[in-house]
Amino acid sequence: MSRPIIGVSENIVKIREVINHIADTGLNTVICGESGVGKEVIAQSLYQKSSRNGKPFIKVNCAALPDGLLESELFGYEKGAFTGADRKTRGKFELANKGVLMLDEIGDMSLSLQAKLLHVLQGGAFAPLGSEKEFKTDTWVIAATNHELEKEISEGKFREDLYYRLNIIKIYIQPLRERPEDIPHLIDYYLKEYSLLFNSDKIIQPSDTVIDELTRYPWPGNVRELQNILKRMLVLGDAEKILDEMNSRNSMTGTSSDGSTSDTQAMGYKGILDFNGKDSPDEPTFSLKTIRKTALDRVEKEVISHVLGKTGWNRSKATKILKISYKTLLYKISDLGITPPAKAD
Amino acid sequence: MDKKFRLLVIDDNEEILTSLKSFLSKKSYDVVSASNGLDALKLIEAATDDFDLVITDLVMPNISGVAVTAIIKKQNPKMPVIAITGYGEQPEALAKEVHADIVMEKPFKLDQLEKAIKRLLSI
Repeated sequence: MSRPIIGVSENIVKIREVINHIADTGLNTVICGESGVGKEVIAQSLYQKSSRNGKPFIKVNCAALPDGLLESELFGYEKGAFTGADRKTRGKFELANKGVLMLDEIGDMSLSLQAKLLHVLQGGAFAPLGSEKEFKTDTWVIAATNHELEKEISEGKFREDLYYRLNIIKIYIQPLRERPEDIPHLIDYYLKEYSLLFNSDKIIQPSDTVIDELTRYPWPGNVRELQNILKRMLVLGDAEKILDEMNSRNSMTGTSSDGSTSDTQAMGYKGILDFNGKDSPDEPTFSLKTIRKTALDRVEKEVISHVLGKTGWNRSKATKILKISYKTLLYKISDLGITPPAKAD
Repeated sequence: MDKKFRLLVIDDNEEILTSLKSFLSKKSYDVVSASNGLDALKLIEAATDDFDLVITDLVMPNISGVAVTAIIKKQNPKMPVIAITGYGEQPEALAKEVHADIVMEKPFKLDQLEKAIKRLLSI
Protein backbone atom coordinates (compact mmCIF):
# COMPACT_ATOMS: atom_id res chain seq x y z
CA MET A 1 0.00 0.00 0.00
CA SER A 2 1.55 3.27 -1.02
CA ARG A 3 1.22 6.56 0.79
CA PRO A 4 -1.52 9.01 -0.12
CA ILE A 5 -0.52 12.39 -1.51
CA ILE A 6 -0.90 14.66 1.51
CA GLY A 7 -1.52 18.39 1.26
CA VAL A 8 -3.93 21.21 0.58
CA SER A 9 -1.62 23.54 -1.37
CA GLU A 10 -2.50 24.52 -4.93
CA ASN A 11 0.49 22.53 -6.17
CA ILE A 12 -0.60 19.30 -4.46
CA VAL A 13 -4.27 19.72 -5.38
CA LYS A 14 -3.29 20.14 -9.05
CA ILE A 15 -0.98 17.12 -8.94
CA ARG A 16 -3.84 14.96 -7.63
CA GLU A 17 -6.05 16.22 -10.47
CA VAL A 18 -3.39 15.54 -13.11
CA ILE A 19 -2.89 12.01 -11.75
CA ASN A 20 -6.62 11.29 -11.88
CA HIS A 21 -6.76 12.38 -15.50
CA ILE A 22 -3.70 10.69 -16.91
CA ALA A 23 -2.94 7.64 -14.74
CA ASP A 24 -4.52 5.23 -17.17
CA THR A 25 -2.97 6.61 -20.35
CA GLY A 26 0.49 5.03 -20.00
CA LEU A 27 2.00 8.21 -21.47
CA ASN A 28 5.65 8.88 -20.65
CA THR A 29 5.91 11.02 -17.56
CA VAL A 30 8.60 13.05 -15.82
CA ILE A 31 8.32 13.89 -12.13
CA CYS A 32 10.56 16.79 -11.06
CA GLY A 33 11.39 18.30 -7.72
CA GLU A 34 14.12 18.68 -5.12
CA SER A 35 15.42 15.68 -3.20
CA GLY A 36 13.00 14.44 -0.57
CA VAL A 37 9.80 16.02 -1.96
CA GLY A 38 8.19 12.64 -2.57
CA LYS A 39 8.65 11.83 -6.26
CA GLU A 40 8.27 8.10 -5.65
CA VAL A 41 4.97 8.66 -3.83
CA ILE A 42 3.66 10.35 -6.99
CA ALA A 43 4.98 7.55 -9.22
CA GLN A 44 3.33 4.92 -6.97
CA SER A 45 0.07 6.83 -7.04
CA LEU A 46 0.12 6.97 -10.86
CA TYR A 47 0.74 3.22 -10.94
CA GLN A 48 -1.98 2.39 -8.42
CA LYS A 49 -4.61 4.43 -10.22
CA SER A 50 -3.77 2.81 -13.57
CA SER A 51 -4.90 -0.50 -15.00
CA ARG A 52 -1.27 -1.62 -14.54
CA ASN A 53 -1.84 -1.85 -10.78
CA GLY A 54 -0.89 -5.36 -9.65
CA LYS A 55 1.65 -5.75 -12.45
CA PRO A 56 5.35 -5.11 -11.68
CA PHE A 57 6.50 -1.71 -10.40
CA ILE A 58 10.26 -1.59 -10.72
CA LYS A 59 12.47 1.30 -9.67
CA VAL A 60 16.00 1.86 -10.91
CA ASN A 61 18.23 4.61 -9.55
CA CYS A 62 20.25 5.81 -12.54
CA ALA A 63 22.70 7.69 -10.31
CA ALA A 64 23.56 4.68 -8.17
CA LEU A 65 25.20 2.51 -10.83
CA PRO A 66 28.12 3.05 -13.20
CA ASP A 67 27.20 3.33 -16.87
CA GLY A 68 27.95 -0.24 -18.01
CA LEU A 69 26.25 -1.78 -15.03
CA LEU A 70 23.16 0.39 -15.48
CA GLU A 71 22.92 -0.69 -19.11
CA SER A 72 23.00 -4.40 -18.22
CA GLU A 73 20.58 -3.73 -15.35
CA LEU A 74 18.08 -2.08 -17.70
CA PHE A 75 18.34 -4.33 -20.74
CA GLY A 76 19.71 -7.61 -19.35
CA TYR A 77 22.40 -9.74 -20.97
CA GLU A 78 23.07 -13.07 -22.61
CA LYS A 79 25.48 -15.63 -21.15
CA GLY A 80 29.02 -14.66 -22.24
CA ALA A 81 28.05 -11.09 -23.22
CA PHE A 82 30.96 -9.80 -21.12
CA THR A 83 33.52 -11.14 -18.65
CA GLY A 84 31.63 -12.43 -15.67
CA ALA A 85 28.31 -12.88 -17.49
CA ASP A 86 28.08 -16.55 -16.61
CA ARG A 87 24.35 -16.82 -17.09
CA LYS A 88 21.55 -15.11 -18.99
CA THR A 89 20.00 -12.33 -16.92
CA ARG A 90 16.76 -10.48 -17.58
CA GLY A 91 16.81 -6.69 -17.51
CA LYS A 92 14.41 -4.33 -15.77
CA PHE A 93 12.66 -3.47 -19.05
CA GLU A 94 11.74 -7.14 -19.44
CA LEU A 95 10.82 -7.57 -15.77
CA ALA A 96 8.62 -4.44 -15.83
CA ASN A 97 6.73 -5.57 -18.95
CA LYS A 98 3.02 -4.61 -18.65
CA GLY A 99 3.91 -2.65 -15.54
CA VAL A 100 5.88 0.47 -14.61
CA LEU A 101 9.59 1.18 -14.78
CA MET A 102 10.53 4.15 -12.64
CA LEU A 103 13.84 5.65 -13.74
CA ASP A 104 14.94 7.72 -10.77
CA GLU A 105 17.64 10.41 -11.18
CA ILE A 106 17.32 10.28 -14.99
CA GLY A 107 19.36 13.49 -15.21
CA ASP A 108 22.42 11.48 -14.15
CA MET A 109 22.17 9.01 -17.04
CA SER A 110 25.06 9.17 -19.53
CA LEU A 111 24.45 10.48 -23.05
CA SER A 112 25.20 7.09 -24.62
CA LEU A 113 22.67 5.34 -22.40
CA GLN A 114 20.17 8.14 -23.06
CA ALA A 115 20.45 7.25 -26.78
CA LYS A 116 19.66 3.60 -25.99
CA LEU A 117 16.72 4.57 -23.80
CA LEU A 118 15.39 6.80 -26.59
CA HIS A 119 15.55 3.84 -28.98
CA VAL A 120 13.38 1.75 -26.61
CA LEU A 121 10.89 4.56 -26.13
CA GLN A 122 10.61 5.15 -29.88
CA GLY A 123 10.11 1.57 -30.92
CA GLY A 124 9.05 -0.22 -27.76
CA ALA A 125 11.81 -2.78 -28.35
CA PHE A 126 15.22 -3.51 -26.85
CA ALA A 127 18.03 -6.01 -27.24
CA PRO A 128 19.81 -7.46 -24.19
CA LEU A 129 23.62 -7.13 -24.22
CA GLY A 130 25.16 -9.82 -26.37
CA SER A 131 21.86 -10.56 -28.14
CA GLU A 132 21.00 -9.72 -31.73
CA LYS A 133 17.33 -10.34 -31.16
CA GLU A 134 15.10 -7.45 -30.07
CA PHE A 135 12.31 -7.97 -27.56
CA LYS A 136 9.08 -6.00 -27.53
CA THR A 137 8.20 -4.36 -24.26
CA ASP A 138 5.04 -2.67 -23.03
CA THR A 139 6.49 -0.74 -20.12
CA TRP A 140 5.22 2.56 -18.78
CA VAL A 141 8.30 4.67 -18.16
CA ILE A 142 8.04 7.19 -15.35
CA ALA A 143 11.23 9.23 -14.98
CA ALA A 144 12.14 11.33 -11.97
CA THR A 145 14.78 13.98 -11.50
CA ASN A 146 15.95 16.74 -9.21
CA HIS A 147 17.88 18.32 -12.09
CA GLU A 148 16.54 21.06 -14.33
CA LEU A 149 16.49 19.07 -17.56
CA GLU A 150 16.03 22.22 -19.68
CA LYS A 151 19.32 23.53 -18.28
CA GLU A 152 21.00 20.17 -18.80
CA ILE A 153 19.95 20.30 -22.47
CA SER A 154 21.51 23.73 -22.95
CA GLU A 155 24.72 22.42 -21.34
CA GLY A 156 24.73 19.39 -23.66
CA LYS A 157 24.22 16.92 -20.80
CA PHE A 158 20.73 15.76 -21.72
CA ARG A 159 19.34 14.83 -25.16
CA GLU A 160 16.64 17.16 -26.39
CA ASP A 161 14.84 14.40 -28.32
CA LEU A 162 14.70 12.21 -25.18
CA TYR A 163 13.46 15.19 -23.16
CA TYR A 164 10.48 15.76 -25.46
CA ARG A 165 9.70 12.06 -25.58
CA LEU A 166 9.67 11.74 -21.80
CA ASN A 167 8.03 15.08 -21.14
CA ILE A 168 4.58 14.15 -22.46
CA ILE A 169 3.36 14.60 -18.91
CA LYS A 170 5.38 16.66 -16.45
CA ILE A 171 4.61 16.75 -12.76
CA TYR A 172 6.52 19.32 -10.73
CA ILE A 173 6.45 18.99 -6.93
CA GLN A 174 7.26 22.24 -5.16
CA PRO A 175 9.75 22.19 -2.28
CA LEU A 176 8.10 22.09 1.14
CA ARG A 177 9.21 25.66 2.00
CA GLU A 178 7.05 26.94 -0.88
CA ARG A 179 3.93 25.16 0.39
CA PRO A 180 4.05 25.52 4.20
CA GLU A 181 0.26 25.06 4.40
CA ASP A 182 0.88 21.34 3.73
CA ILE A 183 3.18 20.92 6.75
CA PRO A 184 0.53 20.55 9.54
CA HIS A 185 -1.27 17.93 7.41
CA LEU A 186 1.96 16.01 6.84
CA ILE A 187 2.77 16.17 10.58
CA ASP A 188 -0.65 14.81 11.46
CA TYR A 189 -0.43 11.97 8.94
CA TYR A 190 3.10 10.84 9.76
CA LEU A 191 2.71 11.08 13.55
CA LYS A 192 -0.27 8.72 13.31
CA GLU A 193 1.67 6.36 11.03
CA TYR A 194 4.80 6.34 13.19
CA SER A 195 2.83 5.92 16.43
CA LEU A 196 1.46 2.69 14.98
CA LEU A 197 4.89 1.70 13.73
CA PHE A 198 6.59 2.24 17.08
CA ASN A 199 3.63 0.78 19.00
CA SER A 200 3.21 3.99 20.95
CA ASP A 201 0.33 3.82 23.41
CA LYS A 202 -0.99 7.18 22.37
CA ILE A 203 -0.52 9.45 19.41
CA ILE A 204 1.57 12.43 20.42
CA GLN A 205 -0.09 15.71 19.59
CA PRO A 206 2.53 18.45 19.35
CA SER A 207 1.65 21.84 20.81
CA ASP A 208 0.53 24.66 18.54
CA THR A 209 3.89 26.37 19.14
CA VAL A 210 5.79 23.29 17.94
CA ILE A 211 3.57 22.93 14.85
CA ASP A 212 4.03 26.64 14.18
CA GLU A 213 7.82 26.34 14.42
CA LEU A 214 7.86 23.27 12.20
CA THR A 215 5.72 25.12 9.66
CA ARG A 216 8.10 28.08 9.60
CA TYR A 217 11.25 25.94 9.23
CA PRO A 218 12.54 25.95 5.60
CA TRP A 219 13.02 22.14 5.34
CA PRO A 220 16.01 21.94 2.99
CA GLY A 221 15.58 18.14 3.02
CA ASN A 222 11.84 18.48 2.30
CA VAL A 223 9.33 15.78 3.35
CA ARG A 224 12.07 13.23 4.00
CA GLU A 225 13.67 15.56 6.58
CA LEU A 226 10.27 16.20 8.17
CA GLN A 227 9.70 12.43 8.44
CA ASN A 228 13.07 11.96 10.17
CA ILE A 229 12.41 14.79 12.63
CA LEU A 230 8.95 13.42 13.49
CA LYS A 231 10.40 9.96 14.09
CA ARG A 232 13.00 11.49 16.43
CA MET A 233 10.34 13.50 18.27
CA LEU A 234 8.30 10.37 18.77
CA VAL A 235 11.24 8.31 20.01
CA LEU A 236 12.97 10.97 22.12
CA GLY A 237 9.85 12.90 23.11
CA ASP A 238 11.72 16.21 23.47
CA ALA A 239 10.31 18.42 20.73
CA GLU A 240 11.80 21.66 22.09
CA LYS A 241 15.35 20.29 22.09
CA ILE A 242 15.01 18.92 18.57
CA LEU A 243 13.63 22.25 17.35
CA ASP A 244 16.57 24.09 18.91
CA GLU A 245 19.01 21.75 17.18
CA MET A 246 17.25 22.23 13.85
CA ASN A 247 17.30 26.00 14.13
CA SER A 248 20.90 25.99 15.19
CA ARG A 249 21.92 23.76 12.26
CA ASN A 250 19.89 25.93 9.94
CA SER A 251 21.55 29.12 11.10
CA MET A 252 24.98 27.47 10.74
CA THR A 253 24.32 26.65 7.07
CA GLY A 254 23.01 30.17 6.48
CA THR A 255 19.74 29.01 4.98
CA SER A 256 17.06 31.65 5.25
CA SER A 257 13.36 30.93 5.46
CA ASP A 258 13.10 31.11 1.67
CA GLY A 259 15.76 28.43 1.37
CA SER A 260 18.39 30.72 -0.10
CA THR A 261 21.79 31.31 1.42
CA SER A 262 22.53 34.74 2.81
CA ASP A 263 24.38 37.24 0.67
CA THR A 264 27.14 37.62 3.21
CA GLN A 265 27.91 33.93 3.09
CA ALA A 266 27.79 33.83 -0.69
CA MET A 267 30.01 36.88 -1.10
CA GLY A 268 32.59 36.06 1.59
CA TYR A 269 34.59 38.90 3.10
CA LYS A 270 33.89 41.10 0.08
CA GLY A 271 30.30 41.40 1.25
CA ILE A 272 31.43 42.43 4.74
CA LEU A 273 34.17 44.92 3.95
CA ASP A 274 34.03 47.65 1.35
CA PHE A 275 37.61 48.04 0.19
CA ASN A 276 36.63 50.69 -2.34
CA GLY A 277 34.76 52.77 0.24
CA LYS A 278 35.02 53.43 3.95
CA ASP A 279 37.15 50.32 4.63
CA SER A 280 39.73 51.32 2.04
CA PRO A 281 43.41 51.15 3.10
CA ASP A 282 43.58 54.78 1.92
CA GLU A 283 41.35 55.88 4.78
CA PRO A 284 43.26 57.56 7.70
CA THR A 285 41.53 55.29 10.27
CA PHE A 286 42.59 52.11 8.43
CA SER A 287 44.58 49.54 10.42
CA LEU A 288 44.36 45.77 10.79
CA LYS A 289 42.99 46.25 14.29
CA THR A 290 40.15 48.59 13.24
CA ILE A 291 39.30 46.42 10.25
CA ARG A 292 39.19 43.31 12.44
CA LYS A 293 36.75 45.04 14.80
CA THR A 294 34.60 46.31 11.89
CA ALA A 295 34.46 42.88 10.22
CA LEU A 296 33.72 41.11 13.51
CA ASP A 297 30.91 43.53 14.37
CA ARG A 298 29.30 43.13 10.98
CA VAL A 299 29.51 39.31 11.07
CA GLU A 300 28.16 39.21 14.63
CA LYS A 301 25.31 41.52 13.65
CA GLU A 302 24.47 39.29 10.68
CA VAL A 303 24.60 36.06 12.73
CA ILE A 304 22.62 37.42 15.70
CA SER A 305 19.98 39.00 13.41
CA HIS A 306 19.66 35.69 11.56
CA VAL A 307 19.23 33.65 14.74
CA LEU A 308 16.73 36.15 16.18
CA GLY A 309 14.81 35.97 12.90
CA LYS A 310 14.73 32.19 13.15
CA THR A 311 13.49 32.22 16.73
CA GLY A 312 10.89 34.89 16.01
CA TRP A 313 12.86 37.26 18.31
CA ASN A 314 12.60 34.81 21.19
CA ARG A 315 15.74 35.97 23.02
CA SER A 316 15.92 32.96 25.39
CA LYS A 317 15.97 30.55 22.48
CA ALA A 318 18.52 32.72 20.66
CA THR A 319 20.90 32.64 23.65
CA LYS A 320 20.78 28.82 23.64
CA ILE A 321 21.61 28.68 19.92
CA LEU A 322 24.33 31.34 20.17
CA LYS A 323 25.62 29.88 23.44
CA ILE A 324 25.91 33.32 25.09
CA SER A 325 24.29 34.72 28.23
CA TYR A 326 21.03 36.65 28.13
CA LYS A 327 22.84 39.78 29.33
CA THR A 328 25.46 39.51 26.57
CA LEU A 329 22.74 39.12 23.96
CA LEU A 330 20.90 42.26 25.17
CA TYR A 331 24.20 44.18 25.11
CA LYS A 332 24.99 42.98 21.56
CA ILE A 333 21.49 43.89 20.32
CA SER A 334 21.92 47.40 21.63
CA ASP A 335 25.61 47.83 20.70
CA LEU A 336 25.29 46.51 17.16
CA GLY A 337 21.99 48.32 16.55
CA ILE A 338 19.97 45.20 15.77
CA THR A 339 16.28 45.98 15.36
CA PRO A 340 13.30 43.65 14.96
CA PRO A 341 11.82 43.52 11.44
CA ALA A 342 8.91 45.90 10.85
CA LYS A 343 5.56 44.13 10.93
CA ALA A 344 3.62 44.02 7.65
CA ASP A 345 0.49 45.36 9.27
CA MET B 1 -21.83 27.91 -43.11
CA ASP B 2 -25.25 26.71 -41.87
CA LYS B 3 -24.09 24.74 -38.85
CA LYS B 4 -22.04 26.54 -36.23
CA PHE B 5 -19.06 24.28 -35.60
CA ARG B 6 -17.71 24.06 -32.07
CA LEU B 7 -13.96 24.27 -31.65
CA LEU B 8 -11.78 23.69 -28.58
CA VAL B 9 -8.63 25.82 -28.71
CA ILE B 10 -5.79 25.09 -26.23
CA ASP B 11 -2.67 27.22 -25.74
CA ASP B 12 -0.75 28.27 -22.63
CA ASN B 13 0.28 31.51 -24.32
CA GLU B 14 -2.50 33.93 -23.46
CA GLU B 15 -1.76 36.26 -26.36
CA ILE B 16 -1.93 33.49 -28.95
CA LEU B 17 -5.06 32.04 -27.35
CA THR B 18 -6.84 35.41 -27.44
CA SER B 19 -5.89 36.06 -31.05
CA LEU B 20 -6.96 32.56 -32.18
CA LYS B 21 -10.23 32.90 -30.30
CA SER B 22 -11.00 36.31 -31.75
CA PHE B 23 -10.12 35.25 -35.32
CA LEU B 24 -12.15 32.04 -35.21
CA SER B 25 -15.14 33.71 -33.53
CA LYS B 26 -15.18 36.29 -36.33
CA LYS B 27 -15.26 33.40 -38.78
CA SER B 28 -18.49 32.25 -37.08
CA TYR B 29 -17.10 29.31 -35.14
CA ASP B 30 -18.29 28.62 -31.63
CA VAL B 31 -14.95 28.75 -29.76
CA VAL B 32 -14.21 27.29 -26.33
CA SER B 33 -10.71 27.93 -25.00
CA ALA B 34 -8.40 26.38 -22.40
CA SER B 35 -5.04 27.68 -21.24
CA ASN B 36 -3.63 24.30 -20.19
CA GLY B 37 -3.94 20.58 -20.85
CA LEU B 38 -5.73 19.78 -17.60
CA ASP B 39 -8.53 22.30 -18.20
CA ALA B 40 -8.83 21.02 -21.77
CA LEU B 41 -9.30 17.43 -20.60
CA LYS B 42 -11.92 18.57 -18.08
CA LEU B 43 -13.83 20.39 -20.83
CA ILE B 44 -13.67 17.35 -23.09
CA GLU B 45 -14.93 15.08 -20.32
CA ALA B 46 -17.78 17.44 -19.54
CA ALA B 47 -18.82 17.71 -23.16
CA THR B 48 -18.28 14.30 -24.72
CA ASP B 49 -18.57 14.44 -28.51
CA ASP B 50 -19.60 18.04 -28.23
CA PHE B 51 -16.57 19.48 -30.03
CA ASP B 52 -16.21 19.24 -33.79
CA LEU B 53 -12.48 19.94 -33.83
CA VAL B 54 -9.60 20.57 -31.44
CA ILE B 55 -6.66 22.93 -31.97
CA THR B 56 -3.87 22.40 -29.45
CA ASP B 57 -0.47 23.82 -28.71
CA LEU B 58 2.03 21.00 -28.17
CA VAL B 59 4.53 22.20 -25.58
CA MET B 60 2.65 23.11 -22.39
CA PRO B 61 3.43 22.51 -18.71
CA ASN B 62 1.92 19.49 -16.89
CA ILE B 63 -0.20 17.87 -19.59
CA SER B 64 1.34 18.56 -23.00
CA GLY B 65 -0.57 18.92 -26.26
CA VAL B 66 0.90 15.57 -27.30
CA ALA B 67 -0.80 14.02 -24.26
CA VAL B 68 -4.08 15.84 -24.97
CA THR B 69 -4.00 14.61 -28.59
CA ALA B 70 -3.20 11.03 -27.56
CA ILE B 71 -6.04 10.99 -25.01
CA ILE B 72 -8.57 12.50 -27.45
CA LYS B 73 -7.62 10.11 -30.25
CA LYS B 74 -7.85 7.10 -27.90
CA GLN B 75 -11.36 8.08 -26.83
CA ASN B 76 -12.57 9.28 -30.21
CA PRO B 77 -10.24 8.50 -33.15
CA LYS B 78 -12.47 10.48 -35.52
CA MET B 79 -12.13 13.78 -33.66
CA PRO B 80 -10.04 16.07 -35.88
CA VAL B 81 -7.00 17.56 -34.13
CA ILE B 82 -4.74 20.34 -35.39
CA ALA B 83 -1.48 20.56 -33.44
CA ILE B 84 0.47 23.81 -33.42
CA THR B 85 4.00 24.32 -32.16
CA GLY B 86 6.95 26.64 -32.20
CA TYR B 87 9.44 24.16 -30.79
CA GLY B 88 10.73 22.53 -33.96
CA GLU B 89 10.66 19.02 -35.27
CA GLN B 90 10.76 16.95 -32.04
CA PRO B 91 7.25 17.85 -30.81
CA GLU B 92 5.97 17.78 -34.41
CA ALA B 93 7.14 14.17 -34.84
CA LEU B 94 5.53 13.18 -31.53
CA ALA B 95 2.23 14.82 -32.57
CA LYS B 96 2.22 12.78 -35.79
CA GLU B 97 2.90 9.60 -33.80
CA VAL B 98 -0.22 10.20 -31.71
CA HIS B 99 -2.20 10.82 -34.92
CA ALA B 100 -2.71 14.57 -34.93
CA ASP B 101 -4.42 15.19 -38.29
CA ILE B 102 -2.47 18.32 -39.18
CA VAL B 103 0.67 19.74 -37.55
CA MET B 104 1.31 23.44 -38.09
CA GLU B 105 4.52 25.25 -37.27
CA LYS B 106 4.32 28.64 -35.56
CA PRO B 107 4.23 31.31 -36.82
CA PHE B 108 1.53 30.56 -39.38
CA LYS B 109 -0.98 32.72 -41.20
CA LEU B 110 -4.47 32.59 -39.73
CA ASP B 111 -5.85 31.98 -43.22
CA GLN B 112 -3.77 28.80 -43.36
CA LEU B 113 -5.34 27.66 -40.13
CA GLU B 114 -8.82 28.36 -41.46
CA LYS B 115 -8.07 26.36 -44.59
CA ALA B 116 -6.91 23.42 -42.45
CA ILE B 117 -10.08 23.60 -40.33
CA LYS B 118 -12.31 23.68 -43.41
CA ARG B 119 -10.47 20.73 -44.91
CA LEU B 120 -10.88 18.62 -41.77
CA LEU B 121 -14.54 19.56 -41.33
CA SER B 122 -15.20 19.09 -45.06
CA ILE B 123 -16.76 22.51 -45.47
